[in-house]
Amino acid sequence: NTHLEPDSASTRLTQEEGLALWTTYESRTRILSHLLTEHLRLILSPTQATKMRGDFRTGKRLNIKRIIPYVASQYKRDKIWMRRSVPSKRAYQIMLAIDDSKSMAEGGASALAFETLALVARSLEMLEAGELCIVGFGEDVEVKHEFGSPFTSQAGAEVVRRFAFEQTKTNVRKLVADAIELFRSARTRTSGSSAELWQLQLIISDGMCEDHAAIRRLVRQAQEERIMIVFIIVDAAYTSTTTGASVSGAAATSGGGGGITNLKNYTFERDPSTGETVMKDMRYLDTFPFGYYLIVRDVAELPGVLAGALRQWFAEVVDTGGY
Amino acid sequence: MATEDATAPAQQRQSQVRIHLHTKSGDIELPQDTGSILVSTELKRYQLSTLVNRLLETDKPLPLEFLINGQFLRTSLDEFLTKNGISAETTLSVEYVKALIPPIYSASY
Ligand SMILES: [Mg+2]
Repeated sequence: NTHLEPDSASTRLTQEEGLALWTTYESRTRILSHLLTEHLRLILSPTQATKMRGDFRTGKRLNIKRIIPYVASQYKRDKIWMRRSVPSKRAYQIMLAIDDSKSMAEGGASALAFETLALVARSLEMLEAGELCIVGFGEDVEVKHEFGSPFTSQAGAEVVRRFAFEQTKTNVRKLVADAIELFRSARTRTSGSSAELWQLQLIISDGMCEDHAAIRRLVRQAQEERIMIVFIIVDAAYTSTTTGASVSGAAATSGGGGGITNLKNYTFERDPSTGETVMKDMRYLDTFPFGYYLIVRDVAELPGVLAGALRQWFAEVVDTGGY
Repeated sequence: MATEDATAPAQQRQSQVRIHLHTKSGDIELPQDTGSILVSTELKRYQLSTLVNRLLETDKPLPLEFLINGQFLRTSLDEFLTKNGISAETTLSVEYVKALIPPIYSASY
């Protein structure tokens, strides 16, 4: 890792400044983080009613799929009953990845990102849901807070000090690739415990990234390794008076405003049949490589939309018996 | 720490940039505030001109020139950014003006 610490840079805050800044973000989001904690407590708690599962000799409900083999086996294969499976203990590893690139400095996205960080990190701490890790990304990926160390206010202050929003590239592909690697080693470290491990990454960014096809492949790979990724787009450029965030692209598009939902991508492509160059326009978000994304224009919207996205994910995972 | 996708190019340079188009001539203003748009950094004057003409819905293409930080764009956006040390991370403010018809040489007496 050749990434140089901007330690000597004059832009870096002192410890006192970092703490003062962090305290501001914390107090600004205190009520909201209590709200998010309550939402998450309901979602992350493993005591919810779980699915009926086969195959038992006695149980509450017949497993229809087992009936024909049961008869065909002359009533020998008699594990035809389903029971409510006992929820097992869960452990969580949650990574917050914050965009440290220069584009974040435009229009106040960086402040919104810190508020989001304070809000989410605080409520996860309150919840004692598991381990928290914080990384920054831009041209490179850097771990700012490791899994396993407690996230105190001092730790928060240290994290804000280490962001400058000056990286001149935004390599999201590298972020996802490195995150998979970090999650793999974090999983190995905890492999001794009996609890089932759930790994979640929250990316906090303005959403501007390139190489969508390659990123999509990596997101799929993460999914195969049971790593859930939720992309939180902080849309500070949005100037319309309309409020309300959207989950998974169900955005209310209104005229005007420079928001990401209105951003169009213009491309020039050669038509192979005529040899002529044609111009095409496409909504930027139409090729966005993350399946779970939400758009936040005001941090106050976050507890509701984040809880909504996580609830949807957990429902899908439980439904497909993916875990 | 590097699990680079083997199929992806070794290192991508930023190939897209957000631009904000504006003009001082009232007669060729964009119909509504288009906000910023995303384009390839490979674009040159000609493609940008095509783009603005499309946005203006002009019947006859109107040749346009582009100014960034007071300088006329004579290369691709990529070269312009590199030469001027501008990061593709920031939205580029691009002013467009009607291209001047090359002056007809008139003999003076
Ligand atoms: Mg960026």
